[in-house]
Amino acid sequence: MEFSWSDEEVRFRRELVAFLEQVLPPDWEQISKDGPGGDGQARFSREFAARLAERGWLTQHWPRRYGGSDASPWLHAILGEEMWARGEPRGPQYMNVNWIGPAIMEYGTEAQKQQHLSRISRGDVLWCQGFSEPEAGSDLAALRTLALRDGDDYVVNGSKIWTSYANHAEFCFLLVRTDPASRRQRGITVLLMPMDLPGVEVREIPAVVGERYFHEVFLDGVRVPVACRLGPEGEGWAVVSYALQYERVGAARYARASLTLDRLAEHASQRGWLEDPRVLERLGEASALVDAARILTYRVIDQRAHGLPPSADTNVARVAGTRAEQAVAELALELFGTESLVHGSFGDAQFRSAMTAGVAVGASEVQLNLIASRLLGLPRE
Amino acid sequence: MDLEPSQEQAAILEALERLLEQHAGARRAVALGAKGEYDHELERVLSESGFADVARSEEAGPLEAALVVEAVARHAGAVALGARTLVVPGVQEAPLEGPVALARADDAGPVRYACHARTLLLDEGEVARVIELEPGEAEPVPSQFGYPLGRLETARRRGQACPTGSGERMRCWWRVALAAEAAGTMRAALDLTLEYVRQRRQFGRAIGSFQALQHRLAECHVLVEGSRWLAREAAWQGAPALAAARAAAHAGAAAARVFAETHQLSGAIGFTREHDLHVFSMRLVALGLELGGVAGHRRATARARWLATP
Repeated sequence: MEFSWSDEEVRFRRELVAFLEQVLPPDWEQISKDGPGGDGQARFSREFAARLAERGWLTQHWPRRYGGSDASPWLHAILGEEMWARGEPRGPQYMNVNWIGPAIMEYGTEAQKQQHLSRISRGDVLWCQGFSEPEAGSDLAALRTLALRDGDDYVVNGSKIWTSYANHAEFCFLLVRTDPASRRQRGITVLLMPMDLPGVEVREIPAVVGERYFHEVFLDGVRVPVACRLGPEGEGWAVVSYALQYERVGAARYARASLTLDRLAEHASQRGWLEDPRVLERLGEASALVDAARILTYRVIDQRAHGLPPSADTNVARVAGTRAEQAVAELALELFGTESLVHGSFGDAQFRSAMTAGVAVGASEVQLNLIASRLLGLPRE
Repeated sequence: MDLEPSQEQAAILEALERLLEQHAGARRAVALGAKGEYDHELERVLSESGFADVARSEEAGPLEAALVVEAVARHAGAVALGARTLVVPGVQEAPLEGPVALARADDAGPVRYACHARTLLLDEGEVARVIELEPGEAEPVPSQFGYPLGRLETARRRGQACPTGSGERMRCWWRVALAAEAAGTMRAALDLTLEYVRQRRQFGRAIGSFQALQHRLAECHVLVEGSRWLAREAAWQGAPALAAARAAAHAGAAAARVFAETHQLSGAIGFTREHDLHVFSMRLVALGLELGGVAGHRRATARARWLATP
């Protein structure tokens, strides 16, 4: 057990930071103010992800045969930290790299791997995640979008909701029910659906948390070739579970929270507030929570590096991350005061993006349920 | 970065578990506590087996020491192990005659282990001061918080100051020791509570099957795990100011929450002496108040991170 960074890791971080300082435009904060789904960022991310890919950094932790360099998950974790600390210039593509690619690697046919993995590792494709439905959010297994087999296609009818990045995505990692008589986890199938198929309609859902944040995806008689199916029919829940473990700690959100704290401290310092012990205490409190989220995320990465199967420690890390984000957002409001109410201000951006922390990527209550049953040995209700 | 215990570390921890099962435990702590006694026997066993001075060994260091402190606390061992194995080695080469009590010059409050300590290490700000204590010098203070306490007024003007900067080193290592001890104590309190809610039946079912309680316990688990790993990281890094302060800040805040939740979920039986929860929970309160408390650790965190001087 040791907590050091290797020379290679230190070198990589330094090179990466230098690259980012050089490549990110001076108005990056403006471009990225709406988050990874915003138009500016999605546009920028295509070019940026391609440049990262050229340097071999986009998917370095992937196996060589899929466009990676078999690098340690730690290098990818370092990359994630520096990316998220800067508002995620990879845009929606961080998702492809973190869990869509891995799911295809694990469950895909050779043809699917050929088609998708090289594009993801080149940084030239955007995906969205077709999971939640109006009647299936935390209870994902209640999903109803039907996909009925007809010759060489599945005919898909239904809708997905909250879908981030649907407006720009070329492909959708889509969960459907292929056996209409099935209930819950049984009979669910994953389709890698091209978003330009006839019958796919995307509509933005205006939301207070940001522009282009949420979408509805309507699927009206969409014919999706069977060749797009990922894994066996009716056994998609295993694929989903696999993917979710990666998704849960896919975004180094604590790194962004940490940078936010630096900004808050700077703001406080400029006003002489760092002489106020109460301000120091609030900053120290949030700082401790952020570092707890960081070290608990490292635990998960470490398990991955050891080749251990994913555990409910991903849920522990996720809850810690949420609590940290929420604490930092609250503190931002306190320190920026009514300036936080101004659209586009720093306090505004932090607060509105942290609003989703307890709901996105699996509601905290679901995370806590999983911790209780898988780690604490508590019986289900 | 490799967070799995090495074979050597795993072997140390396993051997320690067996030793603690034999020589520590809540019942023993209660029996000694009732008589206001210090567990010299446990300290002797830890000393003879090498666990008490693991930080000074060739193959191990402060991380192993923190792991030992955490384990001993989890088994309800109330010995001045943090002082011996983390704080003193962090301040000076030579060991001090133990048990060692830790105190702050600007805090007149009761001091843990003062009545049983042979040496007092005193935080005077810039420097730490080593003071030999006479038997019976400290005035015992009655307390229900799981540790023997004493007041040491007259001692504070004697002894030998350590070099400049030793005060800061002392505080940093003290924070790491507190964090590690709190982490082990919290783990025990939480595990006891989990056991209780699994078997306690009301309304036709185990109360641990109610989601509301599961969520609170899961939140506690997240806090305990975060505390434990921040303490370990800080120990391994050699207790730099920021890592040490944030470990103590996190553990202290977590301790307050775990205290409240474990008692709330253990109901009336949790307040009794026959149930073991109080052995751990009350200590969490004491640990949370030591060295200026959570507010002090939080201020130290912010200063270390954002101000030039700590």
